[in-house]
Amino acid sequence: MNKIQHINVGGYPFSINEDAYYKLDQYLVRLNNHFSHSDGAKEIMEDIEGRIAELFKEYMQGGSIVNMDHVNKMIQVMGTPENLGTEEEGETSSGYSEAYYRTGKRMFRDPYDKKISGVCSGLAHYFGIEDPTWVRVAFVFFGMWGFGILLYIALIFILPEAVTAADRLAMKGKTINIQNIAEKVEEEIAEMTEHFHEWRDKWKRKKKKF
Amino acid sequence: MKIENSIAQMKKGVLEMCILAIISEEQVYPSDIIQKLRMADLIVVEGTLYPILTRLKNNGLLEYHWKESNAGPPRKYFTITETGKEALKTLSSSWIQFVQSVNQSLQIKSNHE
Repeated sequence: MNKIQHINVGGYPFSINEDAYYKLDQYLVRLNNHFSHSDGAKEIMEDIEGRIAELFKEYMQGGSIVNMDHVNKMIQVMGTPENLGTEEEGETSSGYSEAYYRTGKRMFRDPYDKKISGVCSGLAHYFGIEDPTWVRVAFVFFGMWGFGILLYIALIFILPEAVTAADRLAMKGKTINIQNIAEKVEEEIAEMTEHFHEWRDKWKRKKKKF
Repeated sequence: MKIENSIAQMKKGVLEMCILAIISEEQVYPSDIIQKLRMADLIVVEGTLYPILTRLKNNGLLEYHWKESNAGPPRKYFTITETGKEALKTLSSSWIQFVQSVNQSLQIKSNHE
């Protein structure tokens, strides 16, 4: 048994198996990223989607559901962003796509590791200091002259909070791509479940005391 | 590999000219263009073509119109514009010159060996 999704590709409705749907979705997102800095990116994607719809119709030949084989076959014809990169950009491709994916390290506040507002741990990520405690100690130390407190308050307002998975990757200076983000999200869900268990255990223990 | 990159660069350089040449013969649909380019071993995947077509169209070298198709969504059929014809003329004459001078320099090398 396989769950089915209903989608619209290039203005045409298709029923598609769930696994094939995820593959297609990921493929389109990657293509979209690849073309996002080209002229007329929207038009290019529309043309490609139109062609994909045509290919699906051709492959299905009276069948009614798009499956994984169809998607794989289509990707072979259209090409992955990697294929496109080497064909289209030639030697510049590697540097080009890397520059695009690697947005570079950016300064954020880390809401997952904070004492007050996450400024110190954000700075620690940025400067590659493993233990944010050192940054906190430094702030307290300089804070005695008043300058640190002002700087801290300013930073609360200047630095954005690293909310999304992409922000959190940029905060740690890691490359941003779909796989990375997916990993990050999984990691965070696991962390959340852990916190939840901890919290539940604590609560249970408290309850027992009464 | 560096050599593969150089070959890719060469192909990339002539691709626009070849596409213009194909379209100048008759109005065509992108997948017809692909078939011809594939036979000439200039292109492997279809996705490469769409950005080039869009660029040529935005620069006024190509035009397209929609045609209904029984195989799926309406298709874009491309034709060459007057500007496109001019560009193709310039490109192909400099290509011929280019080939001659490149061949000449290759000849000189092989004579020395």
